[in-house]
Amino acid sequence: MNLKGFRPLKKTFQMQKVMLRVCYALIPLVCISIYLFGLRSLALILVTAVFGIVTEALFTFRRDKPITSAVFVTCLIYSLSLPPTLPLWMAIIGIVVGVAMGKMVFGGFGQNVFNPAMVGRCFIYITFPIEMTNRWIEPFWGGVGGLSAWSAPVDAITRATPMMDLAAGLSVSLQKLFVGNVPGSLGETSAFLVLLGGAYIIYKKAAPWRLATSCLLGGVILSSIFYGMGFSGMPSPISTLLSGSFLFGAAFVATEPISGAKTKSGQWIYGFMIGALTVTLRGFSNFSEGIMFSVLLMNSFVPILDRTVRQVQASKKAA
Amino acid sequence: MAKSAVQEFTKGLWAEIPPFRLVLGLCPVLAVTKGVETGIFMGIATTFVLVCSNVIVSLLRKVIPKGVRIACFIVVIATFVTVAELLMQAFAYSVFMKLGIFMPLIVVNCIILGRAEALASKKGVGVSFADGLGMGIGFTLSLFALASIREIIGNGTFYEIPVFGESFQPFTFMIEAPGAFVSLGLMLCIMNLLGKK
Repeated sequence: MNLKGFRPLKKTFQMQKVMLRVCYALIPLVCISIYLFGLRSLALILVTAVFGIVTEALFTFRRDKPITSAVFVTCLIYSLSLPPTLPLWMAIIGIVVGVAMGKMVFGGFGQNVFNPAMVGRCFIYITFPIEMTNRWIEPFWGGVGGLSAWSAPVDAITRATPMMDLAAGLSVSLQKLFVGNVPGSLGETSAFLVLLGGAYIIYKKAAPWRLATSCLLGGVILSSIFYGMGFSGMPSPISTLLSGSFLFGAAFVATEPISGAKTKSGQWIYGFMIGALTVTLRGFSNFSEGIMFSVLLMNSFVPILDRTVRQVQASKKAA
Repeated sequence: MAKSAVQEFTKGLWAEIPPFRLVLGLCPVLAVTKGVETGIFMGIATTFVLVCSNVIVSLLRKVIPKGVRIACFIVVIATFVTVAELLMQAFAYSVFMKLGIFMPLIVVNCIILGRAEALASKKGVGVSFADGLGMGIGFTLSLFALASIREIIGNGTFYEIPVFGESFQPFTFMIEAPGAFVSLGLMLCIMNLLGKK
């Protein structure tokens, strides 16, 4: 993602420092996804980016407005949340729906109620459930990894993700989960790099730290309770954190400032509920991963959360 | 008189086509457009009820007291919904089963009550009949259009006949409930674009 190339076209592209920082934080994840799953993941990310930007351009140029760099972030987060074997055309449909229906119909940047990346992912998740949930591949590891290959062999039996193993009661090496040497979506596997990126955007204040912290807290507390109560298929809190896209979601999806809560207390509740809902959905629903649904659900509660918080504060001041 | 009847008829087909222009009667529009078959039958049943209730309400407009008119309209409408329901049970049982609860729910379709209140209770029988027919056909066309889009994209079939080859991957989303809202929204958008002059 060399964004310097776009500088001469200042009117066409509106640079937003905050959004660019999120992009920088995602670059290591892009690299590791190529290393783990082959050059196909690069193709997936690039195609998604092109179509996402074109979709936004179709809407913004009608109104003589520039493309915002938020769309890069949307495209990156969206593509990093996809499984590596997903056909390209499905990825394209998802990003077009996500940007057009999730963001532009609400009025573009700053107006979207829902996280556009998750709207797009949700659309293809419901539309093509098999491709989205059942085609996982073993990553490359060692040497040049996937840098010299297009994609890992898909014809082999599809592997279960660590999340599925955990739900089935098998144990999963925490070290592998931490490094990222496991099957999964493009950007979610390496807990280490996600933490690194998350720490960077929070340090640079590109994301509200309360959202990420409260989301993690919600997940850890609820999964400790469930684990303590001994529900079957409920992994220990540490495995819950490291497996699947929990960290990725907490660092990059739940922290999206526009669709997230704005007030301080609102942010705590919002993040906490995302974490708690994710654990609940993982444990008791038919879906193996829950962060996407919990973010979308909580997005719809943001206006009422913020309103209530402001009302309570106002009445306290008045009293 | 003749001219205005024609006008009343044609406005239901385009200028005031119920779901897309008046945005009325959305419950059946969202619920029964999973397939073309249920869409068409719902449209026909609604048209039947709409025409009959318009005519009867128009005939009785001088008898019905103002204060209880809504209740009277509902009684008239409910009668014809029951008639339509029994007819459909007798002649199209499989479709009746598919429509389920939405068949009796025609009673509360706001188009029918809306037309009775806004037009039939004030105008003559001829005009009311033309209005009911126009609105009904417009409603049927809208259901047909929406159901075609949803069934073709969401299931790869049209009137339960496959239209694409084996390799077609249906967009399950479109026949789910959110797909109904999304496709209705897109249709409204297209209608607004077309109507913008």
